[in-house]
Amino acid sequence: MNAPSPALVAQRPERLRLVGQRRQLLAVMHQRLMFGMLVFAGMVAIIVLRILYLAAFGDHAGRKEGPTAFVPERGDIVDRNGDPLGRTIDAWTIAIHPGKVIGDKLALAQRLAQLMPEHSADQYFAMLRSGKPFYYLRRRASPDLVDAVNAIGEPGLAIEREPDRLYPQTSLAAHVLGFTDIDGHGAAGAERAFDKYLADPATRGQPLTLSIDSRVQQALETELGQAMQHFSAIGAAGVIMDVHTGEVLAMTSMPTFNPNAAGHATPDQMFNRATLGVFELGSTFKPFTLAMAMDSGIVSGPGQMYNCPQVLPAYGHLVHDTHPFGRRCSVAEIMMESSNIGMGQIADQLGTVRQKAWLKKMGFLDKAEIELRERGRPLTPGVRWGPFETMTIGYGEGIAVAPLQLAMGYATLFDGGIYHPPTILKIGAGHPIAAGKRVFTADTSYKMRSLLRLVVMKGTGRKADAPGYRIGGKTGTAQKLINGHYSQRVNLTSFAGVFPMDDPRYVIVVMLDEPKATKETYGFTTAGWNVAPVVSRTVSRIAPMLGVAPDINREPNMAEVLPYVQDAKQDAKKD
Amino acid sequence: MSSRSFRSVFMVASCAGAALGCYLVSLRVASERAQLEDVESRIVLAERDTRVLQTEIGTRGRLSQLERWNAGAFALSAPAADQFLKGGFELARLAAPERKPDFKAPVVLASAPVPERRAPLAEPPMDDSGAPAPAATPNTLLHEASLKIETREVPARTAALLPQAAARSTDKPATAARSAHKVSAEKPGLAAAHLRKKVGEKAAPIEAVSTPRFAAKKSVDKKPIVTARALTKLLRIAKVDPLAPLPAHHSGNSKGIAAER
Repeated sequence: MNAPSPALVAQRPERLRLVGQRRQLLAVMHQRLMFGMLVFAGMVAIIVLRILYLAAFGDHAGRKEGPTAFVPERGDIVDRNGDPLGRTIDAWTIAIHPGKVIGDKLALAQRLAQLMPEHSADQYFAMLRSGKPFYYLRRRASPDLVDAVNAIGEPGLAIEREPDRLYPQTSLAAHVLGFTDIDGHGAAGAERAFDKYLADPATRGQPLTLSIDSRVQQALETELGQAMQHFSAIGAAGVIMDVHTGEVLAMTSMPTFNPNAAGHATPDQMFNRATLGVFELGSTFKPFTLAMAMDSGIVSGPGQMYNCPQVLPAYGHLVHDTHPFGRRCSVAEIMMESSNIGMGQIADQLGTVRQKAWLKKMGFLDKAEIELRERGRPLTPGVRWGPFETMTIGYGEGIAVAPLQLAMGYATLFDGGIYHPPTILKIGAGHPIAAGKRVFTADTSYKMRSLLRLVVMKGTGRKADAPGYRIGGKTGTAQKLINGHYSQRVNLTSFAGVFPMDDPRYVIVVMLDEPKATKETYGFTTAGWNVAPVVSRTVSRIAPMLGVAPDINREPNMAEVLPYVQDAKQDAKKD
Repeated sequence: MSSRSFRSVFMVASCAGAALGCYLVSLRVASERAQLEDVESRIVLAERDTRVLQTEIGTRGRLSQLERWNAGAFALSAPAADQFLKGGFELARLAAPERKPDFKAPVVLASAPVPERRAPLAEPPMDDSGAPAPAATPNTLLHEASLKIETREVPARTAALLPQAAARSTDKPATAARSAHKVSAEKPGLAAAHLRKKVGEKAAPIEAVSTPRFAAKKSVDKKPIVTARALTKLLRIAKVDPLAPLPAHHSGNSKGIAAER
């Protein structure tokens, strides 16, 4: 190319412009290159630094991210001595993926039917051909079965470990513990009440400590179960409580169920008679009426006299006694022989307003303050609460409460008159005792000791006595309301006892629903014949475990009541 | 020159060596930590296994199962109230050996020559009667000691009488009840006054004087009271404070009481 010399021809302005642009472009390119290099260098530097950091402070490649402490899938439930009542274990689960089955489906169905006979071979074959992705065949399978299924060698069968809830003591305290549903959430009892605590990863490492003592629970369940069987009762309930703290040491409701197989339980078995069921508990209410009257200044002491005729007409009704006195009788005698006529008069003097106020204070008009969700609302006459109803409530008819509430009332009465809300959690560092509230005076509480001891020594509850353990208490036989009428033959018997009576520590309430008469009871179905012996046997079993030493020579101060008892009738037929 | 030119090389080498050393230390630490974690995870696994076994044992030996075994095989029942002991003494009483005839003991016949052996036992009374003892055995020493005690007690008796007599006359319920029959038998005020006077005069012979008095009165009234009196006196002696019997102090004391009255 013959380029024109610059001297001859002046450069064209476009060309000049072009050179300037190129220079600019070059500069920009340099800048970009520089920037790119810096970016790369930075990245390399970051990688190098990271490598250095990892070399110095990092973990090695083989590190396992294992847990440093064992935390179960769901928290344990233990009793007050630390014995497990509910645990989560890894159970074998057998399942099937029908789509992944490669072998002969008919042969597999036949083999499965042999191993797991809950379904027939046809049903298994239908499952395999259904085209659904997944079936559970067996949850909580035994190791033998798992071995056998594994030996089939079918890749479509899935054998896995799944957390599963196990109750090692089977049906012991079933109503207190409750059970979990298929997803592992609490469905009843403590499992339901403390579901959040048990499921929370932060808290489930620590077991939930109940106030239940499994040995006491076992003794109560055995003795009560035997009585229920012996007297062919349709149901039973029992509660043992610590008088001073309100801790429930044992609580049972019968018939019971096995929480390991909660699905098989009937609604009747699931029903918690101790907390959810409310019953007219009869004469076991009399000590409360008397304590109210003593605190209100109506009754001065066990020596106060009342007129106890054969039949007492009151507000258009007649009040009967099973064994009427037909004379003047003292308050001690009214308690000892469980006279409705006498106690009705005391309740009448007390009056409706005061009675309501006392019952409210004792917590008998509301649901029990326990952590369980299964709590029954007490039944009262409501708007029909007139003077006659006041009298009947005075001897325990016309008001229905849960057996737990009755135990709570006795605990209040014998803890110097101080009410502590009942609890199923052990009182300790994590669960301090709730603030008590005074209901009765300490003096009234003290006076009731000898009165209730008298009932067991000489009155209707003689069969409840366990030598040396100073049991005091009150029998109660209520007539059941059937089709709107009180039945004369069908009873609900209960006994509320406290021991040792010279320094009350534990309260025991047992109840039998519709006990039948037997030869040994001479045809009677009253509480003195069927539930009182349960108390005697249970207390003689549990008292040594609870640290109550038997002593034949100790008694509460019986000199306060014995002078007011005219003659001790030798029958335990009434209550 | 050479050292200066290689200086940078040395620097680089020493830096590299130090870095390598640091890295080795951290590597060592990391491997130790890994081993520790291995152990920890093994502990967790062992805990889980323990738990599984505990659960299995607990389930197999559940309380209802034990109860069933007890009903079927052991038949144990709750202890009765009289089966509890209150302490070591009651336990020791149970372990006390039973008295049984010892069949291995030598047979002793009824006509065995015993008198020879009894001779030394019969010696002490003979000593007392006055005859000089054949040998000063410990028995005689013992006897003398007891005699001395008797003589010492004589003043003590009077000392005991005094404060109690005073107490009786004042209104102490217990002592009054004790002396009630005595008071009814004889005139109380007078007798007491006599007694007190006598005590004021002489400390030692009071008993010798007072006993015939009472005896005379009692022989008239009732005999059993005499024995009662003797008994009560003995009791008073037993209460005596050994520091009390100082004759001078005595009289002063009794006088003081008399003055008060």
